[in-house]
Amino acid sequence: MGSKALQQWAHEFRELSNSDPELRAHGRYFSCSYLLDSGEHRVVVQMYKGRVDDIVIDPGPLDEHYQFAIRASPDTWRKFAQKEPPPMYHGLWSATFRSGMRLEGDLLPLMQNLRCITRQMELLRETGAPVSSGRS
Amino acid sequence: MAKLSPVTGHYVDMKVQGDALRVFFLENGSGRPLVCQHTAGCHNHQWRYLLEDDDITSNYRVIAYDLARHGKSDPPRNRDWWKEEYRLTTDYFTDFILSFCDALDLEKPIFMGCSFGGNETLQLAYRKPDRFAGLIAVEGADYSPGYYLPWWHHPHANAAQVCASGVWDLMAPMSPDRDRWATWFYYAQGSEAFEGDLYYYSVDHDLRGHLDKIDTSRCPLVMLTGEYDYLTTPDDSRRTANQIRGAEFIEMKKIGHFPMSENYPVFKTYLQQALDIVESRLGEARKAAD
Repeated sequence: MGSKALQQWAHEFRELSNSDPELRAHGRYFSCSYLLDSGEHRVVVQMYKGRVDDIVIDPGPLDEHYQFAIRASPDTWRKFAQKEPPPMYHGLWSATFRSGMRLEGDLLPLMQNLRCITRQMELLRETGAPVSSGRS
Repeated sequence: MAKLSPVTGHYVDMKVQGDALRVFFLENGSGRPLVCQHTAGCHNHQWRYLLEDDDITSNYRVIAYDLARHGKSDPPRNRDWWKEEYRLTTDYFTDFILSFCDALDLEKPIFMGCSFGGNETLQLAYRKPDRFAGLIAVEGADYSPGYYLPWWHHPHANAAQVCASGVWDLMAPMSPDRDRWATWFYYAQGSEAFEGDLYYYSVDHDLRGHLDKIDTSRCPLVMLTGEYDYLTTPDDSRRTANQIRGAEFIEMKKIGHFPMSENYPVFKTYLQQALDIVESRLGEARKAAD
């Protein structure tokens, strides 16, 4: 995925997140930062009070601030982001239990924001994942 | 006056291992009792569509109870339950079900349980097959480790939302939003019992090495598991069924771990197959006896 396509993805993901009715309704305390890691690219998403504050694509060595990381292979991310994901790729828990996704770092903010994170990850079914051929 | 649902609710008083329990159940229909156990940390509204399905209730008396500490069934009335950590055991779960059937004078009901109830259905097949006319284990397996987690009660997180959103992708993404969110809502109500239920689900329940002793000639056993269930996968249930002589396993497509609640029309087609198998086995047994 080229840098222009990644920037476009970040723009769409931000717009979709900030206009999503569920995140708007329930995101008042949704403030945390997390990393989406595919091996191909690393994307830090910084949330503040339910809105995307910043999205940092492939941050430099001393510029990678996040609380927890969601890591998976490009293939797992592609399946995860399909409009109709196949079994065992259809959510953070299922992909972590069965499809090689890894949740790392401080998992407490993940659990504290589980409702909103779960919803926000489902928005990848609209934008595709930030990996090559990530759009379903 | 507005139309009333034919489903009625009652409380029944019973004893389980010395615990004085007032148990709530919903019921509708007539015929052989079909006793339904909800999933861990939930309550009997998961069976709301089955309870009002004329196709089933015209032939079966559908009864869906709340296990003690769930829904409208309170914790034991005669014990300081708040001074103990709740951990459900196989012995208690089994005794509860037998006591409930006795309290309602149910003779040879069909029992159907889902998730931890599916596991318990296998325990009934192993321990008490002669008490039941048929057993339907939904999302069950011989062993289901890995879900007894500290996050369910972590004091720094919102337990209701962790439980409800933690089970979210146990459901299939194509199940209707309305019913997935109803199921989420039920889970937001049950976090206090969820962890103790999962002690049973992931720790105490373990039928590995015992499946060959289950005798389905004494009680027919059908297992149903959805392809989107990441906890008890179809492979887990298939592996279990393959070790039980005479057990039938059906994989359910495009549905997950809460099939009766997340997408009843899809579940119903498989439930009818399961009931047909049970009835057919019962018919064969009657013929053999004649």
